[in-house]
Order: sequence, then C-alpha cells, then structure tokens
Amino acid sequence: MRRNMYAWINGPGQVFKDPLPGSTNYMSAYDKTGNLIRKRDRAETPEQDIDKAPEEGGSEKAGAWGVEGAAADEEGAGEAVEDALEKEMRRQAGEEKRNRAEGKDDKLPPENLEDLRPFPLNKMFRSQPVLSEELREAIWARVVKDGVSVPVVSVEFGVSNERVGAVVRLKQMEKEWIGEGKTLARPYSKAVLAMLPKTPYDPKNNRRPVVHESINDLIVHPATRQQIWEPVSESRRFTRVDAGRAFDASLLPADDRIPHPELVLVERESLAGLSKDERTQLAAKRMMDEQAKREKVERRKAEEAKRMQVVPGRRWDFVFQDVSVESVGRDGRGAGGVGWRYGFPHEDRKKGQVKIPTRVEG
Amino acid sequence: MVLRIRLARFGKRHAPFYNLVVAHARTARNSKPLEVLGTYNSVPQPPRPGDTQGRPFKEIKLDSARARYWIGVGAQPSDTAWRLLSMVGILEPKYRVGQIKQQVVKADSAARSATKSTILPKDEL
Repeated sequence: MRRNMYAWINGPGQVFKDPLPGSTNYMSAYDKTGNLIRKRDRAETPEQDIDKAPEEGGSEKAGAWGVEGAAADEEGAGEAVEDALEKEMRRQAGEEKRNRAEGKDDKLPPENLEDLRPFPLNKMFRSQPVLSEELREAIWARVVKDGVSVPVVSVEFGVSNERVGAVVRLKQMEKEWIGEGKTLARPYSKAVLAMLPKTPYDPKNNRRPVVHESINDLIVHPATRQQIWEPVSESRRFTRVDAGRAFDASLLPADDRIPHPELVLVERESLAGLSKDERTQLAAKRMMDEQAKREKVERRKAEEAKRMQVVPGRRWDFVFQDVSVESVGRDGRGAGGVGWRYGFPHEDRKKGQVKIPTRVEG
Repeated sequence: MVLRIRLARFGKRHAPFYNLVVAHARTARNSKPLEVLGTYNSVPQPPRPGDTQGRPFKEIKLDSARARYWIGVGAQPSDTAWRLLSMVGILEPKYRVGQIKQQVVKADSAARSATKSTILPKDEL
C-alpha cells in the first residue's frame, strides 16, 4: 500500500508537485503515466480535429452587437449559451493552431472540456467558469462610470442580473478598501483564479463578449413546485396569466417573472415580422420611456433634498425637514398631519401590529 | 394669555419623541395645542447605509414659515425651542453663541473650498 503510494508520488503524481500555472490541474487531464493528455494528443494528431469548427464564435457579427443582437442570440439559439464557452475554446484552439503554424510552438494547448472534469467518473460534471478580473472591472465600469442600468449590462456581457449586482457591490467595496489603504489578499485571489476556468474579456478585438451564463432563466417559484389539477372549461382561454393564478393568487405569470422580459419582447417583435428599423424604433422608444421615468424619480429626490437643511453639531447633525402645518387638514385631525396625533390612542398594542423590522435599508 | 412655542413629549418610555407646538402657556404639556409646528426626535439616528462619511443625525420637522409667523405675533419659545429655531436662523442664538459662530465660519470656509451640502443660517447670525 505504502509502496504503491510512493510509486505514484515518484511516478505519475510528480506532475502535481509543481502544478501547471493557469490550469485546473485536475487528475483527469493526465493519463496513467503522468503525461498531459492534451499535449500528447496534439503531438499525435497534428492538424485535423480542431480545424473542423473554424472560429464560429469569433467572427459572427463582429462589432455590431447591442441589446437587440444579444437578444436574438439569447433566445433564438437555445444551446448557444451553454456552448459559448466551448466556442471560445475552439476559437482559442484555432488561434493557437495558427500560432503553431507560424512556428511559435512553445505554448501548451488550451484546456478542453475533458480537462474541466474534476471527477473522472462523473462525465456530466464540469467546472464552471468564473468571471475574470478584467471582466469584473469592465462590468463595474459600465454600471458605475457609464451609469448603464444593471439589466442592460447583464445582456451586454451575458452575466445574470444578480451576478452583475454582486460584482458591482464587491468591486465598490474593494475600491473603498484600496482608498482606505487596507491590504487586499491579492496573492490568494491570484492563486485561486489561476486554478479556475475563467470567462475571458477582450475588449480590443471587436468581438462580442463571451456569454458567461444563461441570463434569462425562469427562477422556480416555490408556489409552482406542486402539481395542480385545474379543471378548465373548454370554451375558456387559459393563458400563462391564468396558470400563474392557478398556482397562487398573487403569483405573476412566467413572462413577468423572468429576469429579462425585454428580450422576449424583442424576440416577439422579430417573430411578428417587423423590420429592423421598426424594431430599433420601438427599442429606442422603450429606452426613452425608461429614461424619462428615471429622471422623474431623480427630480423628486432633488426636490426632497432641497427641503432638507443640515446643521452640523459636535456629535451629530441636525437635519431639518420643511413640512407644512396644512397637511393635518381643516379639522386638525387628519392622519397625514405632522407629529403625534391628539385624541387617538396609539395602536402598538392592537392585534396584528408588526413591530419587528420587515425590511433593511440599503 | 401668553403663547409659547414648546415641546410636548410623546413616544414611549426611554423612547422620547416630541411635537413642537404653539400652545397657551398655562395649559398642560400634552394638551391639545393651537398648532403643531413640527416634530423633534431627540434620539440620534445612525447614519444612512451607504453613506460612508455619514454622521449620526437628529431628525427635526418644522414648518418654518408658520414658526416665523407665531414669533412675529409674540409667541415666546422655550429654551429648547429657542435652540432649535435658532439653528435654522429664525431666532438669534442665545446659547453657545461663540461656538455657533465658529461653526458658521468653519462651514463657510468648507463651502468655499468644496461645495458641500451643509447649509448654515449665515444671513441671520
């Protein structure tokens, strides 16, 4: 037993002592004698297999991508999202092949999907890529510096809404820490990231960003986990809205619960046979509406801020908010009036009063 | 009868909350006033989330136009009410005059160096 162990350590296991930089280093990437399979394969079959799929991910729609283009890709080609990584790999492989043809042979071939299986017997399990540092930075810049809304950025980069939000929050925190002069665990993050497959970001080539994940998945609502036998008369039109209601009275239809309903709308328009100009017009109109709504909210906030007056004190500030005594109404008994009301008992001992906080600000 | 601008204590035990009221001087503290000018929460609130340089603050709601009117017709503020009203420049500050003047100077210079959102009643002082 022990002899076997040492045999392995001094034989095939030796490669793990100095792990390959920039690789997952899973055991399934090596054969029994400790050779890197992808290196061996390349040496054996020099110029055939990878060429069959010549960089389809790369050259399609170079440059001209936007919400609409992304939408078409997202919805139309269903498996496109899952295969995006594969495509990117193939593209890299193609590039690498070209390099090799030009005589730069020293580099290792990029990892293929077999190398991303940590458990050799579980063929279906693949290591999922994480966002690369450049991609995270780009997402943060797009949201914070350019002021683009989270759903739009999510569509642009092919990263889910939640992940975009998390990236922005964490990046912001990181930058605050750097500003405060805190030390970051850079070596640690570098080491971990070097071991994981990453979604690359390459803004220089005019390629669309590699799609990181499927962004428009419908989240399974707990209310829809049960099967329901819902008798419906034949004459009735039973739509998705009705289906939502059948599960729960307050459940929205699936069309409204998905993260990007606008992508479905775009797809619907293209299916309806609208021309490109018309669709662009509609999208522009939607954008304008959104913008107007946002401006309205901002104006209201600015107005509110104008009514505030901050007087700095030694330990705390005094914030004066301008109100109107008229808000109490003519008879002086209105509920909207300023201050505690006179002649009304306080309701905190009444049945059904919720006293614990139900939401956290910020 | 003398009119007073004063605080009426509401809220619960250990959780004071005040109405800033105009009332006849000889009526009970929490009796129905002539008018409720505003509120004063004397418990400092923690800075708002996301406000990195935020300081704790005390919330005051005030109808300043109405307060000016009542003072104009002879209502007499209590000491505390005087302190609050002098902060927004409705009255001359009576307490810690030097300190408040210093604060004004400081705030003025701060506003000149960088347009900060702190406003002080400089015209009245």
